[in-house]
Amino acid sequence: MKSIKGLLKHWEFILLLLFVLEIGIFGVANPAKFFRASSILASVTNYISVCIIALFVTFVMITGGIDIQASALIGLTSICIGVLWSDVGLNIWTAVLLAMLLSTLCGALSGYFIAYCGVQPMVVTLGGSLLYSGLALLISGLSKTPAYQGISGFPAKAANGSFTGFRFLGKGMLFGTIPVPVAIYAVLILLCFVLLHRTKYGRKVFLIGVNPEAAEYSGINSKLIVMSTYILTSIGASIAGVLLTANIDSAKYDLGSTFTLSIITAVVLGGTLSTGGKGSILGTVLASLMICIMRYGLPLCFGIKTQSLDLPIGIMLLIVVIGRELAKNKLILQLFKRRK
Amino acid sequence: MKETTAMDHEKDQAVPGLSNSLLSVKGICKTFGSNAVLKGIDLDLRSGEVIALIGGNGAGKSTLMKIIMGIYQADSGEIYVAGEKTELVNPSVALSKGIYMVPQEPMLFPNMTVEENVLMGFSESSSELKKRLSEKVKELNWNVNLQRKASTLSIAEQQLVEILRGMMREARILILDEPTSALTFDEVQSLFKVIRNFGKKGIGIIYITHRLNEVFEITTHVSIMKDGMITVNGPVSDFTKEDLVNGLLPPNLEKKTEERQEEKAFERGNLDPVLVVDNLSGYGFSHINFSLYPGEILGIAGLVGAGRTELVSTIYGRDQVLSGTVKLSGKDITGLSTRKVLEAGINYVPEDRHYQGLFKISSISANTSSALLNGPKLGRFFLNRKKEDEIAKSYADDFRTKIVGLNDEIGSLSGGNQQKVIIARSLSTSPKVVILDEPTRGIDAAARGDVYNIIHRLKRSGVAVLLVSSDMEEIEELADRAIIMFQGRITGTFSREELTQDRLTSASFGFKGEKEVSE
Amino acid sequence: MKYLNELKKARWLSSFLFLIALFLVTGMVNPDFLTYSNIVTSFNGSVVFTLLAIGIAFVIMTGEIDVSIGAVMGLTATIAGQIAKRNGSILEMLVFAVLIGMLVGAMNGIGVSFFHVPSLIFTLGINGALRGLIYVVSGGKTTENFAGAFTKIGNQVLFAEVTIYLAIIVVIIAVIHLLLTKTKKGKYFIAVGDNPNGATLVGISVMKTKMLAYIICGIFAGVAGVVFASKYGQVNIVAGTGYEMSAIAACVLGGISLSGGLGNILGAAFGAVIMSSVSRMLVFIHLPSNFNNTLTGVMLLIIVVADALVQRHAVESARRKRLLSRTAAFDAKVGGKK
Repeated sequence: MKSIKGLLKHWEFILLLLFVLEIGIFGVANPAKFFRASSILASVTNYISVCIIALFVTFVMITGGIDIQASALIGLTSICIGVLWSDVGLNIWTAVLLAMLLSTLCGALSGYFIAYCGVQPMVVTLGGSLLYSGLALLISGLSKTPAYQGISGFPAKAANGSFTGFRFLGKGMLFGTIPVPVAIYAVLILLCFVLLHRTKYGRKVFLIGVNPEAAEYSGINSKLIVMSTYILTSIGASIAGVLLTANIDSAKYDLGSTFTLSIITAVVLGGTLSTGGKGSILGTVLASLMICIMRYGLPLCFGIKTQSLDLPIGIMLLIVVIGRELAKNKLILQLFKRRK
Repeated sequence: MKETTAMDHEKDQAVPGLSNSLLSVKGICKTFGSNAVLKGIDLDLRSGEVIALIGGNGAGKSTLMKIIMGIYQADSGEIYVAGEKTELVNPSVALSKGIYMVPQEPMLFPNMTVEENVLMGFSESSSELKKRLSEKVKELNWNVNLQRKASTLSIAEQQLVEILRGMMREARILILDEPTSALTFDEVQSLFKVIRNFGKKGIGIIYITHRLNEVFEITTHVSIMKDGMITVNGPVSDFTKEDLVNGLLPPNLEKKTEERQEEKAFERGNLDPVLVVDNLSGYGFSHINFSLYPGEILGIAGLVGAGRTELVSTIYGRDQVLSGTVKLSGKDITGLSTRKVLEAGINYVPEDRHYQGLFKISSISANTSSALLNGPKLGRFFLNRKKEDEIAKSYADDFRTKIVGLNDEIGSLSGGNQQKVIIARSLSTSPKVVILDEPTRGIDAAARGDVYNIIHRLKRSGVAVLLVSSDMEEIEELADRAIIMFQGRITGTFSREELTQDRLTSASFGFKGEKEVSE
Repeated sequence: MKYLNELKKARWLSSFLFLIALFLVTGMVNPDFLTYSNIVTSFNGSVVFTLLAIGIAFVIMTGEIDVSIGAVMGLTATIAGQIAKRNGSILEMLVFAVLIGMLVGAMNGIGVSFFHVPSLIFTLGINGALRGLIYVVSGGKTTENFAGAFTKIGNQVLFAEVTIYLAIIVVIIAVIHLLLTKTKKGKYFIAVGDNPNGATLVGISVMKTKMLAYIICGIFAGVAGVVFASKYGQVNIVAGTGYEMSAIAACVLGGISLSGGLGNILGAAFGAVIMSSVSRMLVFIHLPSNFNNTLTGVMLLIIVVADALVQRHAVESARRKRLLSRTAAFDAKVGGKK
């Protein structure tokens, strides 16, 4: 009994229950169509950018910051790969590396302004999202392909229809069933989990979020750590950009530009405090997958149009944050009663 | 000069009758948790009086003032305003009754002009208000541009703005909470002029201060608060400075001194000092010299605002050094970053536990180990949680910290146990020098005893301790030697034999110590 | 000197000067830009942004944020479009717009000031819900083919090339500016953002003030939707996406601090004009409009970083001065004795 109560205190456990409940409801509603592994995995692949970036934004939000520029970096990475490969004529892998490097630099610049100049993260990343999406557009202007069209024709599709080379990253299958992006996501989950929950770096990230002043008094270089979380996020965004480009075979400057709010939703729903200090990779992953499944299941089982999915997800977010706030107040009330 | 001022006030006071009581507080008690802060306070303020309220840190002065302002509610007792029994349930009731408090840290709107700040919250027409404001400014004889932004004002000017607010609300009862703590000499003089003027107009003032000189210079009555009670009370002319110093001392002085002698005295022998501070100046202190030996406890006494915390936190790399040097075991560590100072072998238990010490929603283990994250002790890259828990556990056992589980949030512990965890953190890096800044503030007697034991054990193991405390009793009990700071300078050094509370007290209130620093 | 200080204080003025400078620079490269009709066109083109920016300025002044305004605008634009399709009156649209804006604003206000949910997150949730609602209301199709009268209003010129909307907005701005700076209650928004504890101490209700700010913000966003529909003649289902960020950027450009307590409605308006005129200026200096976002981003970053550094310096030097005055007090006393 006690252990269940203890578990209920963990947000991840509640999320897991909700996740199972969600699958249950969809499963009952339309078992034949819903339980298809390939479709479920495909739905995760479609949402992979948000899932991946949310992992890294978790770090940022645990330090008490916010990052709304990551979605602009998806487009920047994508168009860079396209232009470097198709117009400059670089090897595709060199192009990928350079594009990722540029994205990382962008993250470092914003991180520097936030950590070392003390500008609010919201403002810097707002400016950053304008600047980097603008840069992406400018870079797309260097290409002979019109910006709206997107650069396509990336290598390589084998004669038998299977994907190799660059496209393998987006479309390939491991063991014939697992999409490569999902596999990469799994690896990133593991890496982020270890980094956040098992290393000294991760501990510092948490401590800075709880009390930046006390962290400084413990000799932690909080500025550097804060900056590094924005760099991490930009790397995550660039990975998402690579996978998305490879997946849809199109390098466009505005890929992912509408993802910002979805990313934040996933992180917050995952239990990360927007004031910092609390959060977990597991929570973010569960929340991301919950949204994925919802986006997959609602149209499939209840005939809800894909474009109106924001409504249930938005309402879910509202219920969750208000519920959490009320639960906190109750705890405070109980504490008070006990004291008296 | 000072005597005449006091005489003037007696004359002023004679003009209004005795019956014109502005504020009468009877039997006020207030308890926070298990800590009785006020134990039956009686205080009367009549028209034209300036009552000096003095007492050590934690005597309950600010709690009493917050009750009068309606910010806190008393557990028992009555408050009469102008002879009428009043329930001060919130600040706006107090404001409407003509009570106004000028807090130590002014509560202005930094981005607004002086005028906007003063007039905020009034509902009358603005032209009328502005007229009244300019009258009040004239009355105050303050030459200020009303359009200046509050953030550009000095603390003194901000306090004047607060006083203006009180005047605009036609306050009859004005509470000044250590108004001179951040003022320069000239600013103090002009503030005193204003206060004398108020007295003449029949406004009653409660004047909280730590500076005994000011008591004689500006106030008509004096009340000493100690441990939640007013122990001494009367017209200022009845007292000498010595009386006040004696009144501030704790009652069980003799006994404590005897007990203290039992602790083994520190033998410096022919050891080399571990920490040498040479002519160090920084923001909030200047020309500081002292040496600290292994196994020695050096007390730094003085009042809040004397520059002690600024001194030790600058040594710890939190602020810029202006001149001078700090050497740790012969190595120059002047102006290094906190991280480097920590590595060199100094650790610090900060004064403000909540703001600078605690990771409130983190576990006890994480709180204990936070200073070890830079070193190799907990692993190079991965965090060795087993090791971390071991360390936290061993300190918890060692210090008799009452915890349920190592993974519980530290915020769930009592203040004393929180402090033990923070001290454990500061020892976890095996420092040569530990700086303890008000280590027993706000913790109960039992925990205090434990903390004292920890400090004694540190001493025995050869760690040098720098003990910053406003609690003279604490310094007397623990320190082998003490330096007194006053307004950013060392004004006295006392060896163990000379260390008595009355000497410490008078020196920290700005009187000459019996042994001056020989320059 | 005194005037110079006044200048420094009026942060909106610096954004105004910045706008003039932008216009002048553009004019230097291409004198055609500095014609009357061109400048008025720039202003005419900024009305939607301006409405959004004014609204959100109230919320930002109290130290909160609202990212649901783009969706509010999209929703009221869609509804206005549907009313226009059946040739309904503009009054009807405005009633709907104001009601929806008030409702959403009240919900945001309750969530933020009553439930204490961080404002970004709460308004984010509302944003999602509204986006879905737009889809439901519009049936997933772009709302278009409005009756003629409605779209005409959008481009109707009142006098000297000034559109009706611009004229109305200028009046609204003037009234709000006076209300905010000259009335006592008008200053409550800034006061709450500046120092919430201080505001409580002088008897201002922080909760009520924030609530009101959100409602005003919602109303402005709602009305912006009607204007949007009439100006562009069609409303697709993603209309208004990203507008919330542009409105926030406009406020920041206009000198309104995102931590609250600092700024002025005029600044928000000028910021909005800057935001919407950049692409126009680019055309005149023969740069592709592709430079739009890059330029805005660079401007925004330079301004906020410079502002943060200046502010930090001011705070730090004030603290140091205060600490130094303590030691100086000792010197004064010792000096006096000697």
